Amino acid sequence: MTTPKLRWAYMDHWRIDTPQGQLSQYTSVKRFDAFLKQISALGFEAIETFDFHLGPLRELFGSLENARAFMQERGIDRVLSLFHAVMYDERQSAPHVRATHDHIFNYAQHIMRSSAGLGVQNFIVMPAGLYYDVEPVTDDKLRACAELWNRVGKMTLDHGVKTCCHHEFFCGIRSAEQLRKFYEWTDPRYVFLCLDTAQHVIAGVDPVDLYLELHERCAAFHMKDTKHVDLVGDYRRKPDAEVMATTTPRWFHEMGTPGGLVDFPALMAAMKECGFEGWVGVEHDKADVGGGNYPESTALAAWYIQHVLKKIYA
Amino acid sequence: MNGQIKWAYGVNQWKAGFTSFARLEEIERALKVTAACGFDAVELNAGSGRWDPIGRPENIAINFGSAAHFRLKLAELGIHRVSSTFFDPTVMSFEELHFGLMSTQPADRDRIVAQARIHAGMLAEVGGDVLVVRPFPSFWKEGALDETRMAAAAACWNAVGAMAASLGLKTALHVDALSALRTADELDRLLQLCDSDNVGLAIDTAELTIAGHDVVALYRRFHERVLHFHFKDALAVDTLGEYRLPNAERAMIAAGGEREVQRWFGEMGSGLVDFPALLAAMRELGYAGWIVVESDKGPEPIASGMMLNAWYRRHVLERAGDLSLR
Repeated sequence: MTTPKLRWAYMDHWRIDTPQGQLSQYTSVKRFDAFLKQISALGFEAIETFDFHLGPLRELFGSLENARAFMQERGIDRVLSLFHAVMYDERQSAPHVRATHDHIFNYAQHIMRSSAGLGVQNFIVMPAGLYYDVEPVTDDKLRACAELWNRVGKMTLDHGVKTCCHHEFFCGIRSAEQLRKFYEWTDPRYVFLCLDTAQHVIAGVDPVDLYLELHERCAAFHMKDTKHVDLVGDYRRKPDAEVMATTTPRWFHEMGTPGGLVDFPALMAAMKECGFEGWVGVEHDKADVGGGNYPESTALAAWYIQHVLKKIYA
Repeated sequence: MNGQIKWAYGVNQWKAGFTSFARLEEIERALKVTAACGFDAVELNAGSGRWDPIGRPENIAINFGSAAHFRLKLAELGIHRVSSTFFDPTVMSFEELHFGLMSTQPADRDRIVAQARIHAGMLAEVGGDVLVVRPFPSFWKEGALDETRMAAAAACWNAVGAMAASLGLKTALHVDALSALRTADELDRLLQLCDSDNVGLAIDTAELTIAGHDVVALYRRFHERVLHFHFKDALAVDTLGEYRLPNAERAMIAAGGEREVQRWFGEMGSGLVDFPALLAAMRELGYAGWIVVESDKGPEPIASGMMLNAWYRRHVLERAGDLSLR
């Protein structure tokens, strides 16, 4: 039996139905235990989560080392990625505003210093603010963003962690042209791409083309599907393009959903062609919108991995 | 012999009412979840009504074309076997035009056999092995058993067993927490009266634990006649004898009885059943057959209960016992 080229991770947006309503699984050891067992049962071997979960993990288990040991006993090897939850604000945190770079850098450094022990490999960021805060998107603003993430990426590598940029459809860097410039102006040693399949499709960018173009820069994936392309400028909608859009009440769906627009088989073929080996993350944020639930969406995505994607590349 | 233990998952938990599990895409999603959890076989549930697409052969024909096409659809979804079908004659049937049949009533026997034949026929067509039946009505309807009614029920299930055997199937008697049959000695008597070639026992770990039995001891006593298992955990025991309550299905199971028990059934490893000890006994005594895991009356979302059972199977039961996966 050959060693698998790909290992699968799960980006954690879950909420759990409890007698007290929907709660996070980070509210108790028992709930976190059940969460880990469920995704482990489906073949996932790592989780990805948000950096604001570092505190709860430390509180629940005493230390991040203890938290990781608990995870490993249940078949989950590590916290593969931390999603850096930045509240973008031009007064202190806006990558296109150079005056805020020190603040963002210091915050990122704090996360690096305080996350040791979980096995983190990727630091995932939205590389620019909300589109309506950034526009008009000029070359100078793109260069400012590039300068910041070059600096942050060099620092995180000192901690053994790759900085990966994740382009939400409402991010200031979203179009094919903006993406091309940003990756041209960032240092390939320090700044990497997190390919979020659905986000790119919504923004009108073909994720397979993007992967083929940037595969040497691609260090992380968020595999999820969408049924909609934003054709009406929802990416500029204030205050939140994602939850207030007119295009659809629910942007994201699990891989394999009927009517999904992402060509996952083509992407897997491209990953095989380019010789990608390593972790692949699966995500479906807001899976509960409209009556769905996270466990079922996760299991359906796992079915798609097991029965469709692994036949193409594993 | 260990390799002959086969795992399946019951489909019963998906259908909460007539509007649920009625659309084909719901069934497809449920079976994908099942397959993703590492179960490639299912136990069907004998149903009634036009809103149960996989509960009756005529509905299978309408929705899938034929039993053979249904098997192909299952295989496409990653479900490669049907282990069994659960059939409860005490449940009303629109198609058979009754409000519940009693195995203890000789007058009902032919109708039970005729209805069982319909489900057994479909089970045989889809390649299944075991017709799992509810041998007695609930205690609150039937009362304590006597020799006459025990003999009537045995005659009924012997007839069903012979019919099923003619189709290549075994018949397994599934005693539940509310059953009129209460004691191990009654079970012994029932099995003495039943044809050992065709009719055996299904051990439902949770139902029998709720009814006050030690399932490991029960298995050891009757292992030669045990030909099927339902694995689910029990979170409480009916210590107050509330199986006697009128409408115990609602008063005890759904409403929780006097103690307001929130859940009687749980995921494996969460309750009172000693699954590692039971599996050790099954290995020791050479059990060869199906283990059907259930999320019966589990909390929403259903996928969660299934995923937790899948984890327990892989990380506790198979690791402890080195059981083969299939």
